[in-house]
Amino acid sequence: MRSSSYISIYFDDEVPMLQAVKKLLDSKEKITDVLSPFPVHGLDEALSIKRSRIPIGGFIFGALGAILAFGFQAWVFTVSYPLIIGGKPFFSIPTFIPITFEMTVLFAGLSMVAAFLIKSRLKPDISFKPVDERITDDRFVILVDTADKESTLNRVKSLLSGIHTLEIR
Amino acid sequence: MDEQFDFKKKYRNILLILMTGGILVSLAVILISKPGASRIWANVLLNNQYFIGLSLGAAFFLAVHRVAQSGWHTLLQRLPDAMTTFLPVAFILMLLIYFGIHNLYSWTDKNLSDKVIEGKRAWLNIPFFFARLVFYFAGWIILTRMIRKNSNTLMTSSDLKYHNRKILFSGLFLVFYGITVSASSWDWIMSLDAHWYSTLFGWYVLIGMFVTSLAFITLLIWLLKRLGYLKYIRPDHIHDMAILIFAFSIFWTYQWFAQYELIWYGHLPEETSYYITRLHHFKIIFFINLGINFSVPFFGLITINSKRQIGWVAIIAAIVLMGHWIDYWLMIMPATAGDKAGIGVLEVCMTLFYASLFIFIVLRSLSTGPLVIKNDPYIEESLNYES
Repeated sequence: MRSSSYISIYFDDEVPMLQAVKKLLDSKEKITDVLSPFPVHGLDEALSIKRSRIPIGGFIFGALGAILAFGFQAWVFTVSYPLIIGGKPFFSIPTFIPITFEMTVLFAGLSMVAAFLIKSRLKPDISFKPVDERITDDRFVILVDTADKESTLNRVKSLLSGIHTLEIR
Repeated sequence: MDEQFDFKKKYRNILLILMTGGILVSLAVILISKPGASRIWANVLLNNQYFIGLSLGAAFFLAVHRVAQSGWHTLLQRLPDAMTTFLPVAFILMLLIYFGIHNLYSWTDKNLSDKVIEGKRAWLNIPFFFARLVFYFAGWIILTRMIRKNSNTLMTSSDLKYHNRKILFSGLFLVFYGITVSASSWDWIMSLDAHWYSTLFGWYVLIGMFVTSLAFITLLIWLLKRLGYLKYIRPDHIHDMAILIFAFSIFWTYQWFAQYELIWYGHLPEETSYYITRLHHFKIIFFINLGINFSVPFFGLITINSKRQIGWVAIIAAIVLMGHWIDYWLMIMPATAGDKAGIGVLEVCMTLFYASLFIFIVLRSLSTGPLVIKNDPYIEESLNYES
């Protein structure tokens, strides 16, 4: 998985994991990564990861979707193919709103997924062999960077003795 | 943890002065400019509905969170609990409607030769109207009282049974409220236009109530923090309140639009009459309503930083509170006062009277116990909450 050597600490719950992260950082251990099955509140702050810029992209693309959808409908119903529907005027905003709304959501959603995939370099044929299958399922794992595996292992074990861990290796 | 809100004489006097000032100026306006009986009664109904909505929305907020066994709201649960103590007063104020019922509801006229209203007589008649009114209030008052009682018992006792009972009563309240809020909104607001009907109306009113209460709870947090209380309420809690205001403002707009568009598209005369009176005679207020209640919370609270600053969220909450007052105004006034409807000194002073009465009751109820129910099983989760 990674070329440098590391220790992995396994948890089955987010709360001890978060405690362990704070404890490790307090004693100046270097955390390479934390793997979790779902977003854990407060983890980003604890690891001082910068806030993602994906929502900004989502907003911009959402606005673009809204403009495109509204503009397209306005153009179709007034210039390209004006039809009288239910005796309404050609340019009637209420009819455009549901589609504008849907397109906003679609553009924002898809653009955020795309931005995420591009940013984290995920593509269909990527090959990946996890050290332990459980980390792709329901386990919380902290990876600690180390130069000397033996001594770090002992340090981490004594540090986390009060916290419920499944396995440290 | 044991801090208690001190309802100082100074605050009480300010509120009492505002209350008497509001009612005196309103009476003066009524005597001098003679706005017409229907406008006066419409004001009473409007403010009743608005402040009942604040109480019920607060009860709904608590009930939903308790049934879902949420932890984060535990620290601030005394605030919505205090807001529900207004309901008995609201009951008395609502009974006042009896004296003005002929000025408000056209269906109360016995000599009406109107086929549509004749067909609705089984539901729309005065004895049944008041029987329902008593039934709604009985259920609301009893259930919110039971919830509050069990919740307050947890201040002294740490028996888990009170906590479970609170959840049980919250569930019962949700069921009762879900039905009665629809029915009461048909009774009190929709029957003002006795010909008109909208199947979405109850839901629309419910969401409006919920948004106003969220805004009011936020303002109450802001006020108490300014006075030096609630130190443990952190930006994380404010963040969640702001998320709720943001989300339910959008949902309110969704409801508004769903109701409007179907009627606009269907173009049936008995349905469009509602929007024609409002859109053609009160065009500016109509669009202000939509603008304030959607755009302000949407653009004001869209970024994460804006959601975490209590001062800013309080400003948005205050605007939303005003916006939903205008929303109720649009539902009630054009149907009753007609061409005489307007937003003038009378409306402002009546609302001032009701608002200071409401705040007085809420703060008095808050001052009766500690601000935190320290034996609540979720208190630790709420203290360490990170959003």
